[in-house]
Amino acid sequence: MTWPVTRVTLRLRLAGTAWAALGLVAVMLVVGALYPAVGHTIGKLNVPSSVANLLGGADYGTITGWFRSEIAAVYAPLVIGALAITGASAATAGEEEDGILALVLAHPSLRSRLVLAKAAAIAAIVLTVALAVWVGLILGVAVGGGGITVSHITALAVQVAFFGLAAGAVSLALGAGTGRRSLANGGAATVAILGWLVNSFAPLVGSIAWLKYASLFYYYAGHDPLTRGVDVPGIVVLGLVSLALTAAAVVGFDRRDLRA
Amino acid sequence: MSDGPAIAATGLSKDYGSGRGLFALDLEVEPGEIFGFLGPNGAGKSTTMRLLLDLIRPTSGSARVLGLDTRRESLEIRRRVGFLPGDLALHPKLTGRAMLDHLAQLRGGVDPRVRDSLAERFDADLDRPIRQLSTGNRQKLGLIQAFMHEPELLILDEPIAGLDPLVQQSFHALLGEISAEGRTVFLSSHTLSEVERVTHRLAILRRGRLVVVDSLENLRRVAVQRLEIEFGDDVDPAEFRALPGVADVEASGGTLTIGFEGSADAVVKAAAAHEVVAIRPREDDLEDIFLRYFRETPG
Repeated sequence: MTWPVTRVTLRLRLAGTAWAALGLVAVMLVVGALYPAVGHTIGKLNVPSSVANLLGGADYGTITGWFRSEIAAVYAPLVIGALAITGASAATAGEEEDGILALVLAHPSLRSRLVLAKAAAIAAIVLTVALAVWVGLILGVAVGGGGITVSHITALAVQVAFFGLAAGAVSLALGAGTGRRSLANGGAATVAILGWLVNSFAPLVGSIAWLKYASLFYYYAGHDPLTRGVDVPGIVVLGLVSLALTAAAVVGFDRRDLRA
Repeated sequence: MSDGPAIAATGLSKDYGSGRGLFALDLEVEPGEIFGFLGPNGAGKSTTMRLLLDLIRPTSGSARVLGLDTRRESLEIRRRVGFLPGDLALHPKLTGRAMLDHLAQLRGGVDPRVRDSLAERFDADLDRPIRQLSTGNRQKLGLIQAFMHEPELLILDEPIAGLDPLVQQSFHALLGEISAEGRTVFLSSHTLSEVERVTHRLAILRRGRLVVVDSLENLRRVAVQRLEIEFGDDVDPAEFRALPGVADVEASGGTLTIGFEGSADAVVKAAAAHEVVAIRPREDDLEDIFLRYFRETPG
């Protein structure tokens, strides 16, 4: 590992990460505060199951369903995924396109260590945002009158952290492997969003229901961590995907020419 | 310090297709030399430098830097080499000092006195964010980072781009000191005037191929010479253009400026047939040498 690279990568993203974390906490406080007034009124939406799946069940009548639909189904994975994907692409392909890596790699650093240093920085960002999800949920649920245990909140934060790591690893592999920032951003965003859609729609069609297993989103939320706690197999899959893609990033970056 | 050449390339090639890249470069740069690497944009100068630092990999051939193989022993090479990229980019949000600290940490630390002395020498502003610095001031940071660990070999791609004349002077003085210490400088430029005062030898690249490697003295020897001859009567320039060895003739009033290769005999004898008011030799124009090598040749 090349710690100076990790430190600078984090330093350059400190402000963005801090604002995103504060924003998450603030949004969850507001969502919690709205639940007593709005949640009971809405109840369970009578919408097609495909739409309900997209919204994490669309059960706004319970505090668990409220936070599942408002935070767990879209907002938390969106924020953590966006920060992980853009952070990983900027730290690899972005710095390469800008010409900064040509200077950094003229120093005595192994390419593999450089990629691992970048991966460590992105992991730290993901964990910071996941911590913000945890803090925000605890505060938001408390403001909303309680009803979700800390262990279930922790389960969601852990699951979303692993989702962020995997989404970031997709971007890292594409960014380090190709040196193209737009490809890394677009490719990783496509994987994440397609995964969300596939996880929502595939189970509704018997013949393609198996496709959900190809979705990162399934391993994050398929087990419903806010109700059922940590999904160890899901975490293992997301962890292995992250490790495999990070290894692919190391190998891909080591084997190719740095782009001019 | 290693014995043998500071840089040795053997058949070094990087083929980007469509005739772009570097082809079969054979080159040796001796320790203690200030070696100029010249060529127009796209000639392959930066490609060569990037190959030497293992930023890109050769299609064929090989190179050794400080006696080390550029592919297998790149890490050690990069420890002992200072590099200034041609398209220098730095983190715009960091201050110059923070950027230099970061790069120093990548080397396991450098002597801060050397860095501060270089900053003073180049009058560099280390405390402003890099995004607020002009191109020239960013280039100063690039030079400081390349020199601050006192490397055995400096590979500098277009080092004085954007520098004002005073800083250029400081830079040239520094190169002289480095050479006197036995350290080597390999620097590129696309204009000869930038390097002619400091280089011991130079190589000229065109379209990825080495055209010539020689000292400036030797290049001057084969250069086009010029005589400015002021005549007392009207002289037809065509008379001189037809002489053997004459490359070009410029006419201005009663004065002809005649460029020729080899002996001046034919020019002087032809001039003697007219009333000659004055003959003034013109200093060899090194840019002419340079441009001649740059010029495309048919086939």
